[in-house]
Amino acid sequence: MSTLPDSATAVPAAANAAGEPGRETLLSVRGLRVSAADGSELVHGVDFEIPRGSAVGLVGESGSGKTLTCRSVLGLLPVGVEVTGGEISLRGTELTALPAAEWVRLRGTDLAAVFQDPASYLNPSITVGAQLAEVLRVKTGLARRAARSRAVELLHAMGLHRPEHVYTQYPFELSGGMLQRVLIAVSIAAEPELLIADEATTALDVTVQAEVLELLAELRRDRGLTLIVVSHDLAVISQVCDTVHVFREGSIVEAGTTRQVLRAPRHPYTLELIENHERFGIDRVRKQRSQR
Amino acid sequence: MTTLNVRDGAGPVAGPATAAAGAWSGPVLTAIARTVVALGRALLIAVPVLLVSTFITFMLGGLTKQDPASLVLGDSGTPADVARMREVFGLDKPLLLRYLLWLWRALHGDLGSSWFTKIPVAQSIAQRLPVSLSVAVGALLIAVVLGGVFGILAAVRQGGWLDRTVTVITSVLGTVPGFITAIALITVFSLFVPVLPSGGWVPPSAGLLKWTSFLLLPTVSLSLDAAADVARQLRTGMAGTLHENYIVGAQVRGLPGWRIVLTHALRNGAGPAVAVLGMHVPRLIGGAVIVETVFALPGIGSLTKDAALGGDVPVVQGALLVTIGLVLISSVLVNVLLVKLRPAARREI
Repeated sequence: MSTLPDSATAVPAAANAAGEPGRETLLSVRGLRVSAADGSELVHGVDFEIPRGSAVGLVGESGSGKTLTCRSVLGLLPVGVEVTGGEISLRGTELTALPAAEWVRLRGTDLAAVFQDPASYLNPSITVGAQLAEVLRVKTGLARRAARSRAVELLHAMGLHRPEHVYTQYPFELSGGMLQRVLIAVSIAAEPELLIADEATTALDVTVQAEVLELLAELRRDRGLTLIVVSHDLAVISQVCDTVHVFREGSIVEAGTTRQVLRAPRHPYTLELIENHERFGIDRVRKQRSQR
Repeated sequence: MTTLNVRDGAGPVAGPATAAAGAWSGPVLTAIARTVVALGRALLIAVPVLLVSTFITFMLGGLTKQDPASLVLGDSGTPADVARMREVFGLDKPLLLRYLLWLWRALHGDLGSSWFTKIPVAQSIAQRLPVSLSVAVGALLIAVVLGGVFGILAAVRQGGWLDRTVTVITSVLGTVPGFITAIALITVFSLFVPVLPSGGWVPPSAGLLKWTSFLLLPTVSLSLDAAADVARQLRTGMAGTLHENYIVGAQVRGLPGWRIVLTHALRNGAGPAVAVLGMHVPRLIGGAVIVETVFALPGIGSLTKDAALGGDVPVVQGALLVTIGLVLISSVLVNVLLVKLRPAARREI
């Protein structure tokens, strides 16, 4: 699964890095079970491995357990929901039994995430620049002034025009695409190895979505960032990821390279997902891929 | 063609320079502009309020059937003396003209003199203001610290025993009037455990420790229900913000819990508590009559009370002017603070 024969994906440069065989595992999830307070199990033993530098897609309809799986990896499950079995290990460190202080240290510097609806994940009363600089000061120990100039640099690197101006704006003054770029800047500010993009482009219009996905692919290529892309949209996954795991009702029903899964789905549910998507243009992507 | 060249040449030169200057000063200027707008808007409300409220108190003084001239002269005054006295006091003029005259003088710093004691009103106020202000500021500080700490703790420990305890205590304190608290405090700290004086006042020049000992009981009894209100509002406000997505966002960035609570949640949840605190300020300054009476404090409240009972209109007017002024200043400060706390909500104010 870790060796990828179809390196020539939609993002060729990213795929080059992914093509190297025998890469070490960054994150491994083994038999993960997540249950609600009332005892009902929501995730029934999920297994997957994320090689360093790869981009892995988790796809499935809402409620299929992909977000809870990611939240478990981040140690931020909703109140009343907890991990009831299995292991999550990051570079060999077991995360499921980690004390709270260790989680705080780990987040931002090793693990990071961006979510759907970027506006709600930024404090509405603090300028976006100050929120970015705060992470730089707290997580990387930069002084106030240095954090500010580094923040402007980061905003610029995320493809935001007039970064000095953006720095001083409040979240309500920016568009969804700009906010998602800001959030990506915030999440990678302390140089984490793993970025989870949980429906990060879902609320954006198609053009902006493509730009943000391109940015994620760029970060993977230039900074060696490992990506977990969570989406209900196979088109998003196929644009960025080299492997994909299909979730359904709390289990992984199919896993493989993106090309395998898209071209020759084995599970009827995957087939159904793909058929549902054909009307919305994924068809074209599949044709392109099969021609190669 | 030449103009085009000039423009092309000037463009890159002017570009970075203005960008560098505009980059940091522009946003700072807009931040200052926001504050100025908030301040201006608050003053725009404050000035009419000041005029209307002083006019109403003036009218009320004028409408009472009390005749200060004969009161001052007593039984021995002849009608001619009373008429002369009325002229001295300006009582022979129509009410509106008297108000305008008073306003004109007040604007020039002349609040007149007491009709009975002849002491200038400004002088009496200057004597008593420090007493009222130190009690009010002390009570505010206690309300902010106690209300802040317990409100935040209750919000963070939502549903826990601490939260429930704070809810019970604040409900009790919120319903007990200040003078009951005052009497209870005197009973405990001046009678059972006589460590603090039961009343009176010394200026800070008599020793800070002594000053504090006289100040402690009145400030505490004045502050408790404000503290309870602040704690309740803060708990409710923060409990809501702690469930917001941006709190999860801050956790994902790996910020420490205390920082998330104190900067991210507090900033958005403190609005109602600040507003409530602002509403308590009039009570702490002008409305402290009862507490001032219980503790025999020579403050603005007791000055107003004595003057009002005696019908000493200039003193009542002067004291009210000062009280209203302080209340307006505090409401301006509260409005500016609210805008600063939540810039996104500035359109709601």
